[in-house]
Amino acid sequence: MASNRMRRIGKEIADIHADAHSQIKAEPFGNQDDVTHLRGSFPGPPGTPYEGGTYNIDIKIPTDYPFRPPTMKFETKVWHPNVSSQTGAICLDTLSTAWSPVLTIKSALLSLQSLLSTPEPKDPQDAEVANMLLKSPKEFERVARDWAVVYAGAPASADNGSGSSIDDTRQGAGEDSLAKYDGYNKNLIDRFSSMGFDVDRVVAAFRHVGVERRGGQDYELEENSMGEIAARLLGE
Amino acid sequence: MKVTIKEWNAVATWHWDIPEDEVCGICRVQFDGTCPTCKFPGDDCALVQGRCNHAFHMHCLMTWIDLETSKGLCPMCRQKFEWKDKE
Ligand SMILES: [Zn+2]
Ligand SMILES: [Zn+2]
Ligand SMILES: [Zn+2]
Repeated sequence: MASNRMRRIGKEIADIHADAHSQIKAEPFGNQDDVTHLRGSFPGPPGTPYEGGTYNIDIKIPTDYPFRPPTMKFETKVWHPNVSSQTGAICLDTLSTAWSPVLTIKSALLSLQSLLSTPEPKDPQDAEVANMLLKSPKEFERVARDWAVVYAGAPASADNGSGSSIDDTRQGAGEDSLAKYDGYNKNLIDRFSSMGFDVDRVVAAFRHVGVERRGGQDYELEENSMGEIAARLLGE
Repeated sequence: MKVTIKEWNAVATWHWDIPEDEVCGICRVQFDGTCPTCKFPGDDCALVQGRCNHAFHMHCLMTWIDLETSKGLCPMCRQKFEWKDKE
């Protein structure tokens, strides 16, 4: 049974690799030989606050897979009523009572992607998020977008939040004021300043968290660092 | 006539890379081979077909049907799995 499971998972991973079209990915989490712990990812669906972000999923394959569903949770923090904002735990029937052995890791990841487009606040995993979606959808969209920018690497766009102040921040950051960036790459800082924070405050937060300058290179910040920076900026 | 698309909902579907009537959807092994627990193809590792016309290795389907979580449903179409009568 065990080797059958390994063979099927191996085939599934190969199928996912062969299909570059869907932008769904799945790789062993750590040890390349261990296919029972995977990391999947998919892009946030267009037309949602999650657009442009990349969402990583922690996938554990049980011993009686495919007769029991894989255990999945969001590794990337996401503001969504059916995902715990604290633990990433997911409320989705496909991954529990509605699982079927003909479903695959890929089909499960596709269902998660479509869950992001179809939040169901009446059956919440995170009551706080669900309440916000029901009571003030605008506020929900704003927070969901902020989280997508901070945690999922979505581009900060000017049409979210209070437009004019963001444009001002951008224009103020001309060539002559590069000194303000204190040796950090401008794009790194702007990812936060475009959310409406002063460049000076962002730079201070970077210094506080101890982010590396890497000679002014643009690079991908660790999720932990981004969380700490955001917390610092939000005064938590 | 001019048609304006107001909303477009993409629906994701998936399928096996090989035509699905040739592999068992549960173990993904060809029907002319055995299920993963058997060594010899043939009568000992039979195929079963439901009234819904979905077919599986009998051993694969029984492992599923024996689980209370299956609720006796066909893995493909989630209707009650009922044996298709011969003839
Ligand atoms: Zn089979
Ligand atoms: Zn068999
Ligand atoms: Zn069926």
